[in-house]
Parts: sequence; C-alpha cells; structure tokens
Amino acid sequence: MNDRMDRRWKRFLGVPRSALGSLVILFIALAAVFLLSFLLSKTPARTLRYFFIGPLQNTYYLGNMLNTSIPLIFSALGVSLAMRAGSFNLGGEGQLYGGAFIATVSAVAMAGWGIAGVICAIVLGAVTGGVMAAFSGYLRMKWQTNELITTFLLSNAVSLVVGYLIAGPFMDPATNLIATRKIPESFRFSRILEPSNLSSALVMALVMTVVVHLYLYRTKSGYELRMYGLNPRFARYGGINSGSYLVLPMFLSGALYGLGGAMAIFGTYYACMKDFSVGMGWNALAVALIARFRPVAIIPAALFFAYIESGARNAMLHSDVTFEIASIVQSVVFFLVTSSVLQRIGTKRERG
Amino acid sequence: MNALLHSAVAIMTPLLLAAMGGLFTELSGMLNIALEGLMLMGAFSSIVFTYLSGSMIWGVLLGIVATMLLATLLAVVTLNLKSNVFITGLATNLLASGLTIVLSFRLFGNKGVVVFDRIGSLPRWDIPLVSDIPVLGAMISGHSPFVYLSWVLLALSSWVLYKTPFGLRLRAAGLHEKTLVSLGLSPSAYRFIAFLVSAFACAIAGAVLTLNLGAFVPNITSGKGWIALVVIFLGQKKPLGLLGASLVFGFADAFSNYAQGAWNVPADFILAIPYLFTLLAMVIVSIHADWKERIKR
Repeated sequence: MNDRMDRRWKRFLGVPRSALGSLVILFIALAAVFLLSFLLSKTPARTLRYFFIGPLQNTYYLGNMLNTSIPLIFSALGVSLAMRAGSFNLGGEGQLYGGAFIATVSAVAMAGWGIAGVICAIVLGAVTGGVMAAFSGYLRMKWQTNELITTFLLSNAVSLVVGYLIAGPFMDPATNLIATRKIPESFRFSRILEPSNLSSALVMALVMTVVVHLYLYRTKSGYELRMYGLNPRFARYGGINSGSYLVLPMFLSGALYGLGGAMAIFGTYYACMKDFSVGMGWNALAVALIARFRPVAIIPAALFFAYIESGARNAMLHSDVTFEIASIVQSVVFFLVTSSVLQRIGTKRERG
Repeated sequence: MNALLHSAVAIMTPLLLAAMGGLFTELSGMLNIALEGLMLMGAFSSIVFTYLSGSMIWGVLLGIVATMLLATLLAVVTLNLKSNVFITGLATNLLASGLTIVLSFRLFGNKGVVVFDRIGSLPRWDIPLVSDIPVLGAMISGHSPFVYLSWVLLALSSWVLYKTPFGLRLRAAGLHEKTLVSLGLSPSAYRFIAFLVSAFACAIAGAVLTLNLGAFVPNITSGKGWIALVVIFLGQKKPLGLLGASLVFGFADAFSNYAQGAWNVPADFILAIPYLFTLLAMVIVSIHADWKERIKR
C-alpha cells in the first residue's frame, strides 16, 4: 500500500502551482460563503459583513484570530515533518491533548522551579507527544504495521484516558469546569495584544517554523529525511540508515504536536480542560495539506484557516447562522486545493 | 455471555457494512477515508427522510440517494478534477459533519440531539429454527432486519468482487491499472462505481445507527468510519476477513459496555479498550504477516 501511496503523494507535491489556479479556488470558496449566507441567513448582508470584516474589525478579534493559528502552526509543522519522510501521522489529536495534559500537570507540580519549571514542563509535553508517535514509527520499522492506523488508534485511546484523568484524579476541585489545576501565574506567557488572547507563543511559532525549514533544507539529517520520503529504496542504496527515518520523523512530528498543545495551555487556557483540543489535530492536518507540507507556506495557510473560523464565529455571534458553516467553507477549499486540473489553469506546459 | 454475543453482533453491523463499502474502493485502488462522512450523511438523511415520509423503507432509500450524491461529489472531484483522494476524503468528512449540523439547525432549530419520537422502533426478527440452538441462537437471532441484510450484502459483494468480470476489472484497477487501460477500459469508471457502492453501504450503516436510536446525535458516527477502515486492513481485504474483524471489534465494544456496568470502571477508561484491543490485533496481524514473509525468503 505504501508504494502506491508514495507515488500519488509525489505527484501531489510535484504539481506546478499557478497563481490563476489558486485564485479560481479562492473565488469558488468565497462564492460558497455568499451562497451559504443567502441560503441560510435571513439577513445575508449582515452575515457576510461579520464573516469577512468581523475578524479584522478591532484588535480583540484580530488578536484572537492570530492566537487561534498558533497551535495550528506547531501541529501543521508536525504533520509535515512526518509526511516529508513518507510517514502518516494521524494521531495528532491525541498527541496534542496528551502533550498538553502532561505539560500542565508537570507545570503544576514544578510550581517552585521558576523558568526551569517552564522549560521542563514544555519539554515533557513535547516528549509525550513524540513518544506516542515514535511508538507507531517503531512498529512500522519492526513489522511494517501501518502507521496511519496505529497512530489513529493510539491517539483515540490516549484521548479517552486523558479525559478520565482530567475528570478524575487530576480534576481541580475549586472550579465547576472539568479541568486540571491552573498552571502558576509566573509560568504563563505574556499577552502581547490586549485585550485579545494573543500571547507571545506567536513568536515561538514563527521561530519554530524557521527552525523546521532550516532543518529540512539546510542540514544533512533533513536532506536524508526528505530523500527517504521521496524514495526509500534509493535512500537505502545511498547508505542511509532507513530504520531511523521511520522513527525519528515520527518522534519529531509527535513532539511538535505536543508542543502545540503545551503552547495552547501556557499561552491561552492555563489549565487543561476536558476535550479542549477536539478538532485541532484534524485542522492542523488540513493546514499542512494546503501548505503542501512546506514549512514556510504553513503560516499563511494557518492564518487563512483561522480567518475562516473566526469569521464564522463572528457571524454566529452577530447574525443568525451556526458556527458549522466554517467547516462547509473549509471543505470546499479542501475539495479543490489539490486538484491538478485546477492548478494547471494558466500554466502553459501540460505535464504527465 | 449470551447477551454479550448478541450485542457484539448488533454493534458490529454498521462496521461491517461500512467496511464492505470501503472494500470496493480499497480494491479499486483508492484509500477511502470518507467512510466516516458518508456514514454520517446516511445516518442523518435516512432518519430525516423517514420522519418526513413516515416510512422507514422510503427513508432509507432516500438516505441512500442523498449519500450517493455526496459520494458523486467526492468521486467527481477526485477522479475528474484529479485531486488527492486523501484530502477530498477529509473534505467529505468535514462537509458531512458541518452540513448535517447546519441542516439540523435549519430544519429543527436545534444543533444538539434531535429526537424523532414519531418513528417507531426497528422490528426484531426471530429466526425460526436457529433461535433454538444454544449459544448461536442467542447470538444471531432476534436482531433488526439490518443485521441480516448486512450478511446478504456481504455474500453478494463477495460474489460480485470475485466471481464476475466486473469484480475482476474493479480489482484490476487497484492491482495494475495499465492492464485495464490496455483492454480499452477506464480505471476511473470502475473507481467511480466503487465510490457509489461504498456510499450505498455506508448509508445503510448510518441508518442502522440513527434508526436504532430514534434520534440524530451530532457526529453520531464518532470514529466508526475509521474503525471500518481498520476492519478492512485487519480483515486482510477479504469479505470473510471483514466479518471476523468486525466481530472482534463488536465483541470488544460489547465487553467494555458490560464491564462498565459490572465492575464500575470509569466510562472513559472502558471506551479506550476497543481502540487498544484493535491496536493489539493490528500488531499481531502484522507480526504474523512479517513472519510469513520471512519464511518464504
């Protein structure tokens, strides 16, 4: 199965991008927003205004939109690292949740440690996600167990167990929420655009994007990883230890998911709430796909995704539509984004 | 024990149906992760149409049509616009999840659970002679018609896939598409049909969920489409394998429901068991396959 899939992904990565094709896709997505507003809303003009302008109208909404994109950026980088090495990591949901939980619990336990505690807690969160993903990578290396499925299964199981731990032994008795204790105030990232939720984690997201980009394109290990992803057999003949490129990228991928979860806690939520991460792993996968697993392209893709979400949230608050129109618009984008027919509009040469 | 086996069979039915549909796309060479979304669409549309038409048969039939329409969109974008099937599958899941909630809000003014109390419960069929056999009788008798329908469909799809020229060509599309092209046949056409077949089976699988409950719960499929995909791999892409694998999963699920009541274990913990159990089964199957490979060499 993997050989067959590899070919298809390669075709996808190699599709020439044309500006016109992307514009056509954007246009269809916008048309979908108009269509949905006229079909579902009694006040379509109002809905459209809040959908498109709402996220940008003041610093509060703008900051929250940027904040939404932070865990998305980390997690999408995670998806991309695994994907570039030819591995699927579908367990992001659980790796993010598990990483966030461990980071929160350790931060609470290490309250007196100061800055060392912050670093330890975040690293532990990242390692948690990393180990979960690396386990699936190990199974694939050892027995060719399909990692697409094992990551998914393990993630679901872990999410449920974490849910139990949050609602049970680790629940904060002081609140009515189903959540852990809050991390110490000195551990929290500073807000950088009051009154919105935007935290300094945004800077870390940008730094991490550059780091992953440099790793993939400027280091030997990154080069070998990409080579292994493109053609495992060739890489093996080239003298690359192929086993390690089934495990290492998965570990890094899971670690980035875990990091994304930890960032959401330290920057925004301060406590690990039950099921706070539902959907984040899938959204990150979508963002990475739109960016074609290129680290630098992940930032605009994540912002676009966050824009649609906050647009829908705004339209829901101020007009009469439900938030779920966001997923319809997002699905329209997905349907079209990899179409090689649409991508070729405007390119002169017809390839394979 | 008898009750456990009985509910294992009931739980496995939607999985078996969805996996059966997925088998067609899988064998035609498409990794169909849209099973989840197609099932959700079937679940929603069949109970809504049952409510509107007042007849379960019409409801399920119209539900199948609606789900097939969604699959047509998926197939056209994937095959005619040449998109990546993994992403279009993801898009289908997203669309189904959004669309069902938006429509439910529009039609019933409610984004949560919609209870259709006008709809009666599903009939239970007792199989005359079989029901007297000690363990087996309790296991396979007294289910809703959907359970027996799923077995008939399994036999039918097994026949279509392995005993007809159509099935041979469909499998050829997945194994070696150039063969089909050299015969002057279009692999895309077979994949298109495979998508429609998977929508047909997923629609029934979804209908089982909502009609059994008499209500629509947002995202009622809750990962069952993915489990169906696991069932396909676990069942080694063979019809009988699907039956075995979905029974294993149904049993694990039934057991965890039982354990919840019997030993007072926290619910979340129990819900994790089927996933861990399937993971273990996955690993065992792959170790076994790896071992066979080594013996051959």
